[in-house]
Amino acid sequence: MPTPEVTEEVSSTGASAVRYENATKRYGDSAEAAVERLNLEVPAGEVCVLVGPSGCGKTTAMRLVNRTVELSEGDVLIGGESVRKRDPARLRREIGYVIQQVGLFPHRTVAENIGAVPQLLGWKKDRIRARTVELLELIGLDPELGERYPAQLSGGQQQRVGVARALAADPLVMLMDEPFGAIDPISRERLQNEFLRLQAEIRKTVLFVTHDIDEAIKMGDRIAVMRKGGHVAQYATPAELLMAPADEFVEDFVGADRALKRLALMRVSDIDLWEAPLAHVGQATAEVRAKLRDAEVPYPLLVDAERRPLGWLSERDLSAETVPARPDNPLGPLLDRDDVMRDALADLLQGEAQYAAVVDHQGRIAGVLSVEIISEFLASPKAKAEERGAVERPRE
Amino acid sequence: MNSHLLPLAAVGEVGKSFFHHRTSETLPCQADTSKLFCFDWAKDNIGRYETPTLQHVELVAISVLVGFAIAFALALLAHRRRWLQPPLLAATGVLYTVPSLAFFFLLLPITGLGRDTVVIALAAYTLQIIYRNTMTGLANVSASVRDAARGMGLTDRQILWRVELPLATPEIVAGLRIATVSTVAIATLAVFAGGGGLGQQIYTGGQLTFKTNIIIAGGIAILMAISFDLILLGIQRYATRWRRVAER
Repeated sequence: MPTPEVTEEVSSTGASAVRYENATKRYGDSAEAAVERLNLEVPAGEVCVLVGPSGCGKTTAMRLVNRTVELSEGDVLIGGESVRKRDPARLRREIGYVIQQVGLFPHRTVAENIGAVPQLLGWKKDRIRARTVELLELIGLDPELGERYPAQLSGGQQQRVGVARALAADPLVMLMDEPFGAIDPISRERLQNEFLRLQAEIRKTVLFVTHDIDEAIKMGDRIAVMRKGGHVAQYATPAELLMAPADEFVEDFVGADRALKRLALMRVSDIDLWEAPLAHVGQATAEVRAKLRDAEVPYPLLVDAERRPLGWLSERDLSAETVPARPDNPLGPLLDRDDVMRDALADLLQGEAQYAAVVDHQGRIAGVLSVEIISEFLASPKAKAEERGAVERPRE
Repeated sequence: MNSHLLPLAAVGEVGKSFFHHRTSETLPCQADTSKLFCFDWAKDNIGRYETPTLQHVELVAISVLVGFAIAFALALLAHRRRWLQPPLLAATGVLYTVPSLAFFFLLLPITGLGRDTVVIALAAYTLQIIYRNTMTGLANVSASVRDAARGMGLTDRQILWRVELPLATPEIVAGLRIATVSTVAIATLAVFAGGGGLGQQIYTGGQLTFKTNIIIAGGIAILMAISFDLILLGIQRYATRWRRVAER
């Protein structure tokens, strides 16, 4: 298995940490600062989501990094170097910039858009062309689309091109301001997943601004919940934020359904499943009945020789001498160990099933999940401890 | 000669040569004032339009180019310094409202009779249209495109020349088209300032009964306006291929 840090396909020279040091932005003579004495450290290669209600200063805070908003006091360091010392235009060429409205140049082709920053940096034509093709493939677009104009692409494709354009010169830091905010929910989810997969490969330092806490939880390695004046109410991993909101403001912002949101951070394999009483075709039903006595699941699960689930046996099935080949009840929802917990719960509820068989990669039975397990898990104090070890984000 | 008498003198010159030519050989249809167009006369006299037509083209081309250069420079200036926008709009607006003949007479004591006077007046008329269209075009560039360009590390100058002006091209050329077509029309008055052009053939000293001459000169002016417009339309379409592709 290749290490996740580096891939052979995508050339990427790395990422820099970003540190805010008492960063302050004041507009004019206004008494209240838009961002006041912000201190925040974003480790290299991590996604830091700035989230908060509108007007909290999150976008202003993000823009201090590439100096599209100038600092009033304090400093922002990229890889230990102050942005104040840099020429703004040169600085920005080293920082990827993605905005909600994309802002592709309508009079330039897709390829020209992607090659814009490399062109500013004076790359040779061949190198720009090669990089453009590489990036189009990376974002899952046909390189032939490079000849099109932005208006000929769908909204989702345009936003992908926006991301590719930001990545073109292999920036050390990426700034993303509500990048998926203007996209329909279905495409947005796909783009989010694509970006997470991409980020797993390229490992850029990303400052990601959103007002959507669900998006923050999904995208962030760390989340800074901000309140008016650019004050950080809490800076934590998504799991910590959901388990232990620092104060009432964060609790309110995270929402009453934070228990459910926690499920989005977990996979089925992160929870202790019930063991299913297994039955094989032709097995004596008496044997199966004996198993049922101590089982947590009151129905036997029929499996084939490879332990792959076939269906649930009913009382009528068990009235025969041996287990029949065709079970009375269909299998219902079938879950994978790697499924995200929230999706698993949705499957259970949608299938109106009490129990769902969980299988491993080979399709063999791994256990049984029930609504009861999930609700018990969410209620128990033990959940806290369990979740600590299970903060890895779901990836598609 | 006293300079303020010159325009009338110029008209007199035009008229004299015309009448002279006319009386030398009078055609039958020429005498019949009820006829709108005399083909025989047109056939014999078509050659006399060559010089005025070329003069006219030259007047329009120079005036529009000068007007464009000034209006474009003013627009770029006002784009940077926003406080200049209201006074510039007002100033170009005032120039636009001065009646053309009055403009010639006002300029005559300063610049005298000839092409310069005509070019100054005609160029002044184009300022308002070209300036305003350029400003509109620049203002219509979406804020997100500008924001993205800035965030990517384009300098202000690069944003202007690589992003804003290309995107404003449709409006700028639209302004040029209106300015050019109206200049073709107004330039027929150049004759009153001694600038020549097709006006020589139209204003024939009050001889309004014979219309063939006016129809030919007017027709040439209309064809010229259409030709200029088509050329500019071609430039506009070439410069904005991206727009049409997107509409498909």
